[in-house]
Amino acid sequence: MVDKILAEYGAVVLDRNAKRLVVQVDDKQLRPLAEKLFESGFYYANGVGVDERGLGHDFAMYHVFASEKDKLYLVVKVSTSNLKLPSITPVIPGSNWAEREAMDMLGLEFEGHPEPERLILPDDWPKGVYPLRKEFDYNERPEFVERKPESTPQRTDVVQLPLGPYHPALHEPEYFEIHVDGEVITDAKYRGFHIHRGMEKLAEGRLTLNQVPFLAERICGICGFTHSIAYCQAVADAAGLDWPERAKYIGVILLEIERLHSHLLWVGVVFHLLGFDSGFMHMWRIREKVMDIAEALTGNRKTYGLVLIGGMRRDIDESRKNWVLKTLTELREETERVSKDIFGMKELINRIKGIGVLPKEDARALGVLGPVARASGIDTDVRRDHPYLAYDKLDFKVPVYPEGDVLARLLVRYDEIIESFRLLEQALSEMPQGDVMIEDYTIPSGRVGLGATEAPRGEDVHFVITGVESKVYRWHPRAPTYNNLPSVPIMLRGNNIADAPIIIASIDPCFSCTDHVAIVRKGKVIWKGPLGEGVKQVGR
Amino acid sequence: MGRFGLIFKSIAKGRVTEKYPFAPIELPEGFRGKPEIDPEKCIGCGACATVCPPSAIQIHVDEEQGYKTIDLFLGRCIFCARCEEVCPAEAIRLTKEFELAAASEEDLHQVVKLKMAKCAGCGRPFDTVRHLQFIAEKLPEEQKPMLALCPDCRAKLASKILTVAARRHR
Amino acid sequence: MMFKKSLWVFHLNSGSCNGCDIEVLNIFTPKQDVERLGIKLVGSPRHADAIAFTGPITRECLPKAIEAFMAVPEPKIVLAIGSCACGGGIWFDSYAVIGGIKEFYKILKEKHGIEPPTTIYIPGCPPKPEAIIYGVALARKAVEQKQKSEIFVEESDIDDAATLFKEATSTRHFIPKIEVIKRGE
Ligand code: SF4
Ligand code: SF4
Repeated sequence: MVDKILAEYGAVVLDRNAKRLVVQVDDKQLRPLAEKLFESGFYYANGVGVDERGLGHDFAMYHVFASEKDKLYLVVKVSTSNLKLPSITPVIPGSNWAEREAMDMLGLEFEGHPEPERLILPDDWPKGVYPLRKEFDYNERPEFVERKPESTPQRTDVVQLPLGPYHPALHEPEYFEIHVDGEVITDAKYRGFHIHRGMEKLAEGRLTLNQVPFLAERICGICGFTHSIAYCQAVADAAGLDWPERAKYIGVILLEIERLHSHLLWVGVVFHLLGFDSGFMHMWRIREKVMDIAEALTGNRKTYGLVLIGGMRRDIDESRKNWVLKTLTELREETERVSKDIFGMKELINRIKGIGVLPKEDARALGVLGPVARASGIDTDVRRDHPYLAYDKLDFKVPVYPEGDVLARLLVRYDEIIESFRLLEQALSEMPQGDVMIEDYTIPSGRVGLGATEAPRGEDVHFVITGVESKVYRWHPRAPTYNNLPSVPIMLRGNNIADAPIIIASIDPCFSCTDHVAIVRKGKVIWKGPLGEGVKQVGR
Repeated sequence: MGRFGLIFKSIAKGRVTEKYPFAPIELPEGFRGKPEIDPEKCIGCGACATVCPPSAIQIHVDEEQGYKTIDLFLGRCIFCARCEEVCPAEAIRLTKEFELAAASEEDLHQVVKLKMAKCAGCGRPFDTVRHLQFIAEKLPEEQKPMLALCPDCRAKLASKILTVAARRHR
Repeated sequence: MMFKKSLWVFHLNSGSCNGCDIEVLNIFTPKQDVERLGIKLVGSPRHADAIAFTGPITRECLPKAIEAFMAVPEPKIVLAIGSCACGGGIWFDSYAVIGGIKEFYKILKEKHGIEPPTTIYIPGCPPKPEAIIYGVALARKAVEQKQKSEIFVEESDIDDAATLFKEATSTRHFIPKIEVIKRGE
């Protein structure tokens, strides 16, 4: 079916394999094609601007679409010689940030973009300096220019109260502009997005192919390992490498351990936000054991650092495997027992039932991912739809709840915790013998690769173009919070202001992920109306 | 059960808090702590500096004094153990030490200064003595003398020989 | 000793990946529970005795970091938590960061004439919760500092390659190669 659509718009196939397809289209055909793809069930997964002058071409924009139905990632490339390209944001809202990012970082222009404003670079960054162009050195430090004042329109009918960037309640600052009528939220806007660490440029500039996994892992300190796996999968895809079976199983084990710790962390934080601190302490007590397992298997509690392009750096020996299996069984019992008590508390359940509802239609239009999507009745999971590593050989359920409220999001994550335990037990006991790393391989240059993983928060999509001398030419990760954040305003509408923190936290926002490219966490919350309760802890 | 279950649970669990810092903690085998260079074994080849993702290991060459400096800055290290993996002399090792806090940045450096050998041709110091000896062990006897020359002089010599050979052939 | 009693800490995320932040949070949970030592996270820099930086300090958050730093009353302690804060971490020379606490002090000195306060560097990526506790204990001088800088200088008389590998410049050793060329032509 995809082929028919593509042929209709004159797309030329550049490269294809079972999981992904790379095509090039004429810039005039881009928008109608995107519209058609969107109608036939594709969602927007990633958008990457590339300075291809080093490869003997012009500038190009790669739009990545994904479909669970076709089990396919579709990469659509458009080139430009005069930096101008049509914008597809009017037909697919999900591409908004991706296009603005390319504007900031490469100086591309998107005709017809609804809000062509600076997104990523700080305000004091000089105009006309584009960090991702090849002539810019990764360690250049341009002069600070005069900061232009924040252009928040001053309204007289409401009180504006700036909160942040370093507000006591914000562990990870963010910027939500909330409009309230009395106690009820009428509208909300998300702004912010300012953590720029220059990651993509670093990967192109200083680092080599095998050093980037360590950088990718530091996109996020909670779900970093899945980023490094996604990156290595992308390079392996570009070079046509296949990991040894055992390495794939070890990958699954570590990914599921990471999911466990991330979900337990989140559940704890949610309880904390609800004022239910004993639940928080219990969850984090259990989580501590998960961290111990990670430390025993990898040598570090959080940054596992075990993956290279060729596979895993450490094997799991028999005695350790048995110890992990034993600990996991205990942990599972413990989790189930504590959760039974917690879910038996009526007042807790009533507190989060029916608040922050995200209807299914809105969720689909925004391309919401991961547990948030599954709590709104969308049946999506990269592990099942686009299997990677050893997931196609393991048995697991994908929990889906139709209600779309905070309770559903809690239940989805709880079910996933239990599924993770099951996956871990299977993977550990079924793990085949063999090598964990391939040593000799060559990486051809100028090849496009795509890697996707199901992070605890949703789908990670990494896009790679390989370069010469074991370098990456271009690398662009996309984290799930990027897609999930725009849904927060919808969830907030019509709710009590006192529920705002828990609703915002319920998508498990991860700002370092979102701001992957760089970004400095500068959150600002402008709270309009009564402050009181509302400004409790937001985020982690 | 609900909240009473939780209360019983907390009581039944007893103390979960560890005694640290008043008692040491246990670390698993393979824990990645402080990297340490064994200065007796280090040959100054620079492999670790090349792979180190954050460039926490940096190499400086002081031609005047004839020293090569390997500077390991813990304050930038990400404890990835890549250096341990690539070191040909097994000189660098990740210990289990994690109590690394220091009151000054200087305390976070480990510096190894190795003597460099002068090229027999141009007199410029070009590589550490230990590295040359390390390579020499692996080379067949008749090729060893080549190590006395720096790469530049070696190239020059080779091209000179080639021209001589070509002329002689003609 | 500057802080005899409870140490109140303001935690400032200056562009970290979250790893360090979660570990900072971690030390307040049952297993480590540092509140038993009187350490507490506070919401405002003005209430704090110590300010904990995590992250390499990005360009964007530099002005905010300066503001928060100045809001902490004297005498204060700075805790640089994680390799990013200590020395810039993996990002140290990227265009978007200033590269750690030392550069931050340089800017403070240049722009505002402020001398750096007592600083505790806690390397690790992220540091184990126990490593952070150790760092705080060090700040309160409750433990001895273990980590010391080490400089090793090799003593050796040999400094020219010719003594190591004699007859180096003689072309004799290359003669087999010439034979090869002859045959090739
Ligand atoms: S452990 Fe990693 S970061 Fe640290 S010195 Fe070794 S290679 Fe560099
Ligand atoms: S030191 Fe490591 S864990 Fe901490 S913020 Fe930096 S990259 Fe993240």
